[in-house]
Amino acid sequence: MKPKLLIVFLKEFRETLRDKRALSLLAMFTVMYPIMFGYILNQQIERATRAEREGIELAVIGGAQAPTLMSQLKQKNITVRDIPEAGEEAIGDMLRAKKVVAVLRLPPKFADNYQAMRPARIELWFDSATEQDRRRRDVEEVLRAYNANIASARLLAHGVSPVTLGPIDLQRYDTGTNAARSAGFIGSLLGFLFFPAFICGMAAAVDSTAGERERRSLEVLMAQPVRTWELIGGKWLAAGSLAIIGITLELILAHIGLSWLPLEEIGMTWRMGWGDLAMLCLASVSLSLFAAGAQIAVAMNAKSFKEAQSVLSFVVIVPMLPGLIVSMLDLKTATWMYAVPMLSNQTLMREIAKGSDLGLLPYALTFACSALAALALVAFAGWRMKSERYVLAV
Amino acid sequence: MIEAHEVRKQFGPVQALGGVGFTARDGQITALLGPNGAGKTTLLRTLVGMLKRDHGTILVDGVDPEKDPFKVRSNIGFLTDQFGLYERLSTREYLTYFGELNGMKKADLDRRIDEVSEMLAMDDILERRSKGFSQGQRIKVALARALLHRPRHLLLDEPTRGLDVMSTRAVRQALISLRAEGCCVVMATHVMQEVSHLCDDVIVIAKGHTVAQGSPQQLCQRTGIANLEDAFVSLVGTDEGIAA
Repeated sequence: MKPKLLIVFLKEFRETLRDKRALSLLAMFTVMYPIMFGYILNQQIERATRAEREGIELAVIGGAQAPTLMSQLKQKNITVRDIPEAGEEAIGDMLRAKKVVAVLRLPPKFADNYQAMRPARIELWFDSATEQDRRRRDVEEVLRAYNANIASARLLAHGVSPVTLGPIDLQRYDTGTNAARSAGFIGSLLGFLFFPAFICGMAAAVDSTAGERERRSLEVLMAQPVRTWELIGGKWLAAGSLAIIGITLELILAHIGLSWLPLEEIGMTWRMGWGDLAMLCLASVSLSLFAAGAQIAVAMNAKSFKEAQSVLSFVVIVPMLPGLIVSMLDLKTATWMYAVPMLSNQTLMREIAKGSDLGLLPYALTFACSALAALALVAFAGWRMKSERYVLAV
Repeated sequence: MIEAHEVRKQFGPVQALGGVGFTARDGQITALLGPNGAGKTTLLRTLVGMLKRDHGTILVDGVDPEKDPFKVRSNIGFLTDQFGLYERLSTREYLTYFGELNGMKKADLDRRIDEVSEMLAMDDILERRSKGFSQGQRIKVALARALLHRPRHLLLDEPTRGLDVMSTRAVRQALISLRAEGCCVVMATHVMQEVSHLCDDVIVIAKGHTVAQGSPQQLCQRTGIANLEDAFVSLVGTDEGIAA
């Protein structure tokens, strides 16, 4: 005779495999999620490294009137492109197309005003909605320096020392790079790779508890010669194994993507071999079981599928919190982090990706903390189902 | 045979069962009559050991459902007021699931599914998934599930509710043949016609108490009213139906 837990498991598993809604969710998170993820990462890397590769492009109208300014711009590695006079609309289009950082316009009267020592107007056109702010500031810096140089020269011609105008001499040193700025962001993005563990089994967990209650089949089931822990256990394993399948496939796809992306350009590494990945997936099996346990324990108290879903959409955020807090506080990796479900998986992945030599303890802790939490949740769910208050509400 | 004596059950301040006692004999169909809220569902759940009684004794073929609920449940076919089908399983898969949960072996189970299917004339829906089943088809599947493990006792909660004439007749026919096989059938119902035609014994409960037990004729004699429905109303107390 088959164990009853297995009978329940097989039935729930088979039923979920026939549920199009559950399967499409599973497919989306195992296939679409890593693809989306890779795309966003690629975009980030592109954006972070573009400035350093390409330099600054500046369009200039009427540049011939100020040859000194033009050569100073070129000295600062700014590519100057002379363009004919253009109207406001044409300039706006050019900026929106992001071909240039800004447009510098010297009005026709510039040379006259300059020679007559009247303030000569220079127009800097830019689009603050694009993310070219830092490069635009570089251009302004050159303009300011040029302004100061001319002023000094004129003062000197009048017998005044330009030094009197500069009581302080500010020198800026920026040690940050674009890469370092985005590495932190991408690092926290990687933590979301474990999110599907909480999504892939959800439909099965909800359908086999709140769904059964809504359809009033749970009462029939509870009147069978089956122990409550066998019922809960079978449903838990069915939801859990879907999550395990989902997260394992997703991690494999993500691994392929991350190995292929040029992460080194932003100072990150993905030094994960297939053996490491297998170990990571094994250690994360318990995370899926924990997710399924939490979902069963919560969803069984809801009276309908919808109610369970709306409650769970809040609950799935909770396990993400420790990871977010740790990355916000910028804490260094410590052993206790391997004892918090979800955070442990994120930490483990980050450390493996860095190429750290971890030993077995982090893997064991990661597996054990989620496994213990899962068992506690399932025990709670079994106890709850046995209670008379629950029987009455079914 | 099901024997209950002085069964009481309290939920907080609410007295759901205040002293129910009856005997349902083998080879008889026993009706459980009572207004809504009289405690019928609570009583049925207590009989299968899903709820624990506060007081009194219950014996199902000599076994106390509180002490050995599994033995009692494997000897009882329980049909709740909802049928509880799974839309993504075919009838055969559904029956197999519950048969296995009751510890039936594969070969025996397959044979029994065919037997039950023949008895309830449901061959046409055996391989279909229950999505889109009519009310009559649903009750057939649920009844087949309740009969599958050859229980000696059947507890039925309003088995003919919402059924058309043909389906009602089919269910009645099934119950009559089960009675002939010596089953002990307990049936909660509100249909007086069914009680007078089908049932050998009637238990009337109201406000969680057994008010009367006897054959339909005995109840009529006892109240001095010829019509069973009027007799029932007089036993329960006139305005309780609406009040409850």
